[in-house]
Amino acid sequence: MDNRSRPLSVEGLTVSYGQREVLSGLSVELEEGDIFGLMGPNGAGKTTLIRAICGRVEPRSGSLRVGGDTGKARLKHIGLAPQEIALYPYLTVRENLEVFGRLSGLSRQIVHERLPWASNATRVADRLDERVGLLSSGWKRRVNIAAAILHSPKLLILDEPTVGVDIEVRSHLNDVILELSGSGMAVLLATHDLDQAETLCNRVGFLRSGRLAVQGAPADLVREAFGGKKEIIIELRRPAGPQDLMLLKRIGFTPDPASRTWTLLRGDADHQVNHLGAALRKAGIDLREIRLREPGLDSLFRRVLHEGETAL
Amino acid sequence: MIAAMFRVMALSVIRDRGALALAFLLPPVIFLIFAAVFSGTGGGEIRLQIAIGTGLQSAFSSRLEEALRNDGTLRVLPGVITNREEMVRLIQSGRADAGLYIESGPDDMTSALIRVLVDPGKMLAGAILAGQVQRVIARDLPDVLLARSATTVEQLTGGWSAQQTQRLAAALDEIQREGGADDGAAALVTTEQVGSGEGASASISYYAGAIAMLFLLFSSMQGAATLIEERHAGILDRVAVGPAGTDVVVLGKFLFLTVQGMVQVALIFLAAALFYDLEVTARPGALIAVTVVASASAAGLGLALAAFCTSKQQAQTVSTFVVLVSSALGGSMVPRFMMPPWLQDIGWFTPNAWAVEAYYGILWRNDAMQELLPELSLLASLAAVGLVASLAVSRWRLSL
Repeated sequence: MDNRSRPLSVEGLTVSYGQREVLSGLSVELEEGDIFGLMGPNGAGKTTLIRAICGRVEPRSGSLRVGGDTGKARLKHIGLAPQEIALYPYLTVRENLEVFGRLSGLSRQIVHERLPWASNATRVADRLDERVGLLSSGWKRRVNIAAAILHSPKLLILDEPTVGVDIEVRSHLNDVILELSGSGMAVLLATHDLDQAETLCNRVGFLRSGRLAVQGAPADLVREAFGGKKEIIIELRRPAGPQDLMLLKRIGFTPDPASRTWTLLRGDADHQVNHLGAALRKAGIDLREIRLREPGLDSLFRRVLHEGETAL
Repeated sequence: MIAAMFRVMALSVIRDRGALALAFLLPPVIFLIFAAVFSGTGGGEIRLQIAIGTGLQSAFSSRLEEALRNDGTLRVLPGVITNREEMVRLIQSGRADAGLYIESGPDDMTSALIRVLVDPGKMLAGAILAGQVQRVIARDLPDVLLARSATTVEQLTGGWSAQQTQRLAAALDEIQREGGADDGAAALVTTEQVGSGEGASASISYYAGAIAMLFLLFSSMQGAATLIEERHAGILDRVAVGPAGTDVVVLGKFLFLTVQGMVQVALIFLAAALFYDLEVTARPGALIAVTVVASASAAGLGLALAAFCTSKQQAQTVSTFVVLVSSALGGSMVPRFMMPPWLQDIGWFTPNAWAVEAYYGILWRNDAMQELLPELSLLASLAAVGLVASLAVSRWRLSL
């Protein structure tokens, strides 16, 4: 597809806040129907990229096109579902959609015509006459998306759409996003939910130091990064002591700071897992679990972060 | 456990600047302002602005004028008015709180020497002026009182013989018992209302406008605070990518708050008309014009404050302060003529003062539209400045 008509085309985007450069020559392109998972640690620049696309910050350099348009004209192609439930709680679902449809620049008649499509696509048609404030979190999330698509944007930006929702709701939201993508809408999904990104996105990008450190199809990225290697994951019953730490690190395990889980990437993991478990127990490490798994996006994410920290 | 909760509350207040200001800075500030505003209501602190006039220039009128100008408890407008109608106009326009019209010389025993002219909405001003004048005459012009007293005594005694001296003593005893001796001569000072003389309606006319502006400010501040809620809820983020950006949000709120304010004012005037027979239908055009600009100015001010404030708590603190101080200084709580002059001067910079003057001008003084133009212009300017500021700040916030 020609750059000029892509739902999103960002080239060499640099954004600074004062002296601090937040995005440094970032480039990314989205085709019709793409679901692009934008990932990265807090402060990596995800929000800044979204703000730049939405015209909220002025880039220092680079170009930004949405639906082939630049400048303010590009905004009409964008639908934004913020991380917060950006809806009026005292209004019904229908009233909210009518209000945000009108604020998207649609005429009353067009809003009336599009409302059934948007509410069906997001599966809120059964709740149109209920007040948003009385809906559960999952329903609110769906209405939050519905309010962003009434004007049929070419680019739908979803900022952390699954924050605070349970697995079932997340699954429903994934279905909604897939359906919208199927209609040709490109979706830029800023998320920390790696499972969702792996399940949903046909492409992902990891933001690090103001650039997309890696981007591509999740499976391709994982394959390129890890080849045929697998992960041996151990979970300790109690925090590792100093001697345990030294031993695990010497073997090559990397810790997950959020848990008592350690991971070791090996090409011969299938053969090593049983032997390694026995050896660790013999060395006095109290294992709760040892298992084998194929690396995923979370593995890649950790590696990218680790590389970034090492580079620093 | 109670101490733990106490600690939470204390830390919350200390770390929330808005709450800290509300809790510890505002009370003394508000007290000082209110103390200054309300200290005059007892009468002792009031420095009335008065006009002096006479149809009969005489040594007495000159001496009285000089004594009043030198006294310092009153603010006397420059010059001496020679026409009673002109003085009435000065009072009705609000440029003078009350007027002192010297009608006759001290030898005239058949009528009052001095007539205090007062707007029915400021009856207290008339009573204070009458008292101050009698005090000044007693102190600086005692011969006038003596002359009138001697005449009174002569009328009572019929001469100064020994027999009459006895009668004088008896008569004085009787005066003392009865508490006054006005039989033989007219009172020194008499008070007269200018205008229709319906005192209750004058007060109602005043307070209808005063309370209307007070509530316009309160409700607009509350309504405008939704701007902050929408900012925090991400609604402004969503709307910002729309064709009109945040401007439509601010403009929509401005329009709504203006219309809501007009309905509120209409309800206040309806109540005044139903329960106090306030005549509100005589000049609908002027009344609507003032109500539109008063409501718009309150909406503009409320939105500007909401746009500047970063949190709802901060907005509540600031708006409470603004509404209370503006209403107190602007005459929504007590009429401004009862405040010290310096507060009256400050009070003129509040929308309450402009709205109160405009409504009183329509409902009581029957001012022409031209005479209302200064107040209308000020209110409209505040509305415009507030709206432009809230639009600009809301746009600027998007880039933060």
